[in-house]
Amino acid sequence: MSLKEKSDEELSKLLSEYGIKHGPIVDSTRKLYEKKLEKAMEDAPAEVPSPDKTYYREEAEEVTYITYHHSPVRQEVHSDVVKRRGNAEPDQEEEPVQYTEPPVQITKRTANHSAAPRFKEPARESGCSVWKVIRLLLLLAVLAAAVYYAYCRVVNNEEAPSGIQ
Amino acid sequence: MSTTSQKHRDFVGEPMGDKSVMALSGIGEILGKKLEQQGFDKAFVVLGQFLLLKKDSDMFTEWLKDASGANSRQAGSCAQCLREWCDAFL
Repeated sequence: MSLKEKSDEELSKLLSEYGIKHGPIVDSTRKLYEKKLEKAMEDAPAEVPSPDKTYYREEAEEVTYITYHHSPVRQEVHSDVVKRRGNAEPDQEEEPVQYTEPPVQITKRTANHSAAPRFKEPARESGCSVWKVIRLLLLLAVLAAAVYYAYCRVVNNEEAPSGIQ
Repeated sequence: MSTTSQKHRDFVGEPMGDKSVMALSGIGEILGKKLEQQGFDKAFVVLGQFLLLKKDSDMFTEWLKDASGANSRQAGSCAQCLREWCDAFL
């Protein structure tokens, strides 16, 4: 919603930040650009070089909910969550609200819990995805070492059969 | 050129002047009416929108789909029509 409240200049700046080539923002083009921005924000919010975003990497999901920049995005996730849970009750809105509040006060633990159904979140933050990549690489390295070790053992067994066969 | 329709060739072959929006390739009666409702009652107004979007076909097709309910083919056809018209006359 805050996109609609932004001035034409701010919208123009945001569009440039996301690398969206655009023309003048006038009545007939505004809606289109707002839509494009929302989509871009959903796909890769971490790419926006706004100062708030830098906190992403360090503090995971926490700061996400502090920044009002992302309230349109949060609201979309929020409605996704509501849909996913299958509840359209107003009560349910509390949960996603909690989702936004606790991360501010409480640390990653809560955020991780609430992030479970919202797997969109971690994927969007380049900080977390870097850790994922590192973990994957470590896993791969361990696997490679294990395979190599097994191979060596097999080779040794072939040279000098241990008598099992 | 063989893939373009007669309508396309008719439009691109001369200055559009005061032609109706339905003269645009891809825009028929239904889409034309929708556009007219939004104030795009002449081809040159749609051209104006195309130019405002910096002659970006992707942006224009997205806008057109949104504004008139055109499908990808129709919007693409209209964009190509306008693009070629611009190449020839703008």
